[in-house]
Amino acid sequence: MAFASRNITAIAVEATEFPDLSRRYRVTGVPKTVVNEEIEILGGLPQDAFVQQALAALNPGVPTLAPPES
Amino acid sequence: MALLSPSDQDKLRESFAEMTAPVRLLFFTQALDCEGCLQTRQILDELPALSDKITIDEVNFVLEKDRAATYGIDRVPAIVLLGRDDADSRIRFVGTPSGYEFISLVHAVLLVGGRASNLTDENRERIAAVDRPVTMQVFTTPT
Repeated sequence: MAFASRNITAIAVEATEFPDLSRRYRVTGVPKTVVNEEIEILGGLPQDAFVQQALAALNPGVPTLAPPES
Repeated sequence: MALLSPSDQDKLRESFAEMTAPVRLLFFTQALDCEGCLQTRQILDELPALSDKITIDEVNFVLEKDRAATYGIDRVPAIVLLGRDDADSRIRFVGTPSGYEFISLVHAVLLVGGRASNLTDENRERIAAVDRPVTMQVFTTPT
């Protein structure tokens, strides 16, 4: 996603190496994605669902948290 | 001693052969109090031998604070991927890229090196429309 937008920065964090970060972001399982410190995405999701949830933080008025189509 | 088996080296060499653009890995490190730094150095040392498009540029985290600040690096080991003309890819790895993280690093290198993204056109458009800064932290473990 960082590759597709100049505004997006993607950081892969090794959770066990930095327990302070894991605590701060309440990482109890991996993968866990934290977007702008507010949106949390747990586990690996299909691409559409992941993009939808990741961008939900940017469009709070739009109900984008619907479950992915199966 | 090489960390990668000869067959893994061959597979990676084959993948990297498809790169069309150079990738520079800025490796932020420090000599003391950094358990992962040495191991990260050993892992990264494997890569340039597998592709002439990959270079590693070691940055002293203690002495080059301004460079760390430029890329928002506040802990080590950390890796920043730069593309053609040293353009910031905005893809970073914090912590030792071992195990599954190594695979992620390889994928990131290939992406920055010119491999097509696997995003669908629709998702690519949605992402391209993002008009404010977004930081995505992906927490993983090596296994």
